[in-house]
Amino acid sequence: MDLTSFLVQALIGLYKGSLYWILALGLVLIFGVVRVINFAHAAFYVTGSYLMYTFYTYTSNFIVSLIIAMIITGALGAIVEITIIRRVYKLETIYQLLATFGVALIANEAQKLIWGKGVVYISIPETLSRGVNLGGITINYYMALIVVTGLLLFIATIVFMNYTITGLRTRAVWRDPVMSEALGINTRLIYTLVFFTGTALAGLGGALTVPLISVGPGLADYLIVTAFIIVVIAGLGSITGAYIVAILVGVFSSILVLIVPELDIVILYIIAALILLFRPHGLFGER
Amino acid sequence: MSVDRRDFIKILGAGAAGLVVGAVLGWATKPSEVQEITRTVTVTTPGVVERRLPKATVKIGVLGIRSGLWSTYGEFIEQGARLATEEINARGGILGSRVELVFRDEQADVVKQARELVDVENVDFIVGIDSSGNALRVGGIVDELGKIVIVTHAATHRLTEELVFKEGKKLIFRSSVPVYQDGILAAYIAKDLPVRKWAGINGDYEFGRVSWELFTKTLKTLRPDVEFVTAHWPKFGTEDFTPFISALLASDAEALHTSIWAIELVTLQRQLTAMGGYKKFKAVISTLGYSMDVVYALGAGYPTAELGTWVSARYMWLYPPTKINREFVDRFKARWGRLPAYSAETTYSAIYMLKAALENAVSLDPDAVVKALEGLVILTPAGVRWIRPEDHQAVYETPYGRITHKGAEVPLLEDLKAVPAMLYYRHPPFT
Repeated sequence: MDLTSFLVQALIGLYKGSLYWILALGLVLIFGVVRVINFAHAAFYVTGSYLMYTFYTYTSNFIVSLIIAMIITGALGAIVEITIIRRVYKLETIYQLLATFGVALIANEAQKLIWGKGVVYISIPETLSRGVNLGGITINYYMALIVVTGLLLFIATIVFMNYTITGLRTRAVWRDPVMSEALGINTRLIYTLVFFTGTALAGLGGALTVPLISVGPGLADYLIVTAFIIVVIAGLGSITGAYIVAILVGVFSSILVLIVPELDIVILYIIAALILLFRPHGLFGER
Repeated sequence: MSVDRRDFIKILGAGAAGLVVGAVLGWATKPSEVQEITRTVTVTTPGVVERRLPKATVKIGVLGIRSGLWSTYGEFIEQGARLATEEINARGGILGSRVELVFRDEQADVVKQARELVDVENVDFIVGIDSSGNALRVGGIVDELGKIVIVTHAATHRLTEELVFKEGKKLIFRSSVPVYQDGILAAYIAKDLPVRKWAGINGDYEFGRVSWELFTKTLKTLRPDVEFVTAHWPKFGTEDFTPFISALLASDAEALHTSIWAIELVTLQRQLTAMGGYKKFKAVISTLGYSMDVVYALGAGYPTAELGTWVSARYMWLYPPTKINREFVDRFKARWGRLPAYSAETTYSAIYMLKAALENAVSLDPDAVVKALEGLVILTPAGVRWIRPEDHQAVYETPYGRITHKGAEVPLLEDLKAVPAMLYYRHPPFT
């Protein structure tokens, strides 16, 4: 095993980690602020993929399709928050889980009705399909775009949360919703806004990945597991933690594929189980 | 090389001879009712004792994956079952009895669904089942169910070798070729390719593991000079293969074997192409690469390796070039708007297997129908099927071919290689 193979595997891991991060970001935001574990998150992610497929097929404009897919997915998220999730905020967690799980099931079936049961995908835009050849392995520019997008999203989220007035209000609601409401913050609006943002980010993630992976009904069932593992290891509600853990998990599991092919993903579950046992609030979560 | 070429010609010759012998034997030994499936009619002649089944309706329960990422496969099973049933009913049913289908999702606890089909829906037979795990679960309770189950997709060899042959569960049959095609037959194709170092990427579950094991074992016997340099095992439901592909490309393998299937195979092929896999691997063997969902999804972008992207399936619409197959493909396309997927054909033929057996047995008694099915030789779209009495496995041929693009509706195949089924099927006592 030479150094180049190792480096390539780490780079692939960086790309995989960035994908995990984009998937996990909305989940962390929604849990942090709204305190709902959104089982439907991956279903919104897949909705973003399908919307991207449809708009790109008709417009052939990558950027426009990406933005439309993101906004529509966010709008669907806001509608779900207003009509369903809002009604279960004050109920026990189990009702929230059931409600979001129900949304996921409805989304899966709706996707099947609209887009059929077949496999859909789009091609990587021409300019980004080229790449760098490292030891016979092509790392295309699109993979680099995913890494850069992930990093930009991280920076943007941190800046938004810490340096804008809406971010300040969001953090206030995150910390203490009752006190925030007493101070005149419209918590209901913040919840809807966060749900919109969280699901729009899921839509963006889904739209970005459709040139790389193939999409079919029920894909969300598999993606949600990975997203939850990241969030569990990081600690529910920790944005920086989720980014670091997503990247580490991506790189670590990718390198494991090369050196111990038999282990790879199993190791993730073992780490998640150990974290749950010894640090139930996660590596970066607050008690 | 000359030895390889001789071997290659021998196999082709044997394949052709096998086909001819099979076809002739099939024609000579098949019961008169199934000489031409598409023309099967039930005639009631005045003055002759009527041969009738004890019920006016024969109910067949159909199990398939109808939800989630693999739900296309349940749809294929449904399409095959519906087409066969519509044809049979349009020609007067089976000995005057109408055929009725009841569909259930095998993803929703297959044992519960099978029990409900029997206890609540009162079905007489069960066909279908996509997943090997589900086939074994239903197989485990088949004696309690007391109904014949014809598996039309699940590929685990344990179903027929262990449950039927070793444990004597005589109510289980299978109309589709098992994992022998993904492992042993793939090795017969690989042995003629001028490459020595192989890598594998197969699913981390029984089907994937057994495919690779049979492939490596057989190929090593056929070509002792080959080496297996690396093997990777993505889990079921892998949406992104990039770390596996980069690890494969880091090895010094010259060719790749994969039994990854359905949506996962579409992603694998696309990512393999994007990452330069088709520049490195001179040949790729994709054992279920000609499954129609994959063929339609990849379309003109189906990658071709220097020495060929060799693909197969448990039935392929373009083989064999017989009248019965051509007519089946035309009717299927007219009915469903697409070319038939393999499990559509295997389910279609399973229902005709039942029809032939019922017409022989003139009874719905499971034991009588089992007897009629054992040893049955029937001409179906996939060719002559012989239901081997010992393990109740349908024996028939399915070839491999190289993907080629000729501007047709879907990618086509060239250099079709048919190996006699008796060569790549395992045989009782399966030691």
